[in-house]
Amino acid sequence: MGDHCEQTMRNLSGYIDRELSDADVRQVKAHLDDCPPCDKVFEFQAEMKRLVRKECCTDDAPARLREWVRQLATEKPKPAG
Amino acid sequence: MSSDFSLFERHVDALYRSALRLTRKPEDAEDLVQETYLRAYRYRNRFKPGTNEKAWLFTIMTNVFRNRLRQRPAPEDPIDAPGTDFSIYDQLRREGMPVHLMSPEEIIVDRGFGDEVKHALEELPIPMRMVVVLVDVEDFSYKEVASILGIKIGTVMSRLHRGRQALQKKLWEYSGRPKARPVAVGAH
Ligand SMILES: [Zn+2]
Repeated sequence: MGDHCEQTMRNLSGYIDRELSDADVRQVKAHLDDCPPCDKVFEFQAEMKRLVRKECCTDDAPARLREWVRQLATEKPKPAG
Repeated sequence: MSSDFSLFERHVDALYRSALRLTRKPEDAEDLVQETYLRAYRYRNRFKPGTNEKAWLFTIMTNVFRNRLRQRPAPEDPIDAPGTDFSIYDQLRREGMPVHLMSPEEIIVDRGFGDEVKHALEELPIPMRMVVVLVDVEDFSYKEVASILGIKIGTVMSRLHRGRQALQKKLWEYSGRPKARPVAVGAH
């Protein structure tokens, strides 16, 4: 693994989370275009992030909680059961 | 000055699903969200219009949650100590799986890694779990998470890194449990 690979792996989370500077983004992108092994790692880690989001977004608030919140602003708040 | 409370109402699903990951129990999650909204309502005049109301609500909720934990202290985890590197991808590669020929979706489906994400997440130590939930599920920036939890950005990054690795390790362990497993693809 070359220096560029190591540097890319260090920046990978920041890249996936869109936390890098424009210059760093360009650098990572250029390396991923050139280096299939790093690109595969990137694709996998990005998919893991999507997976966590997708799996956890299936739990919506129960209807009674939603209704309780809606009424909070219009009525005197009272403990709900 | 009073804020339009409907601005806050729309985040009830986000707060609830995160509360569920933190408390692991629907009734506790519901209770946590209610207390969060009661406080948000009580202190609504402290919210600065035009700032991020979702981050404000999550700050309240994580504070309420941590106060509750303090009343029932759990054993302290060495959460900020460096851990061993772990990634599912490297592990599969080491096992000789042709991961370079597979799409990430194929890898995940093939070994059933997607089935127990919630369960794995709920087993992470709470400080790591909070950071992973806030970044990966709620899409907050590192800076926002640092502000919500009152920790440094460097701490956000290290907990996120270690939390994601720990999550993959849990998923790896679960996937090794005996169960009906499809034949590996890529062998043709
Ligand atoms: Zn590379």
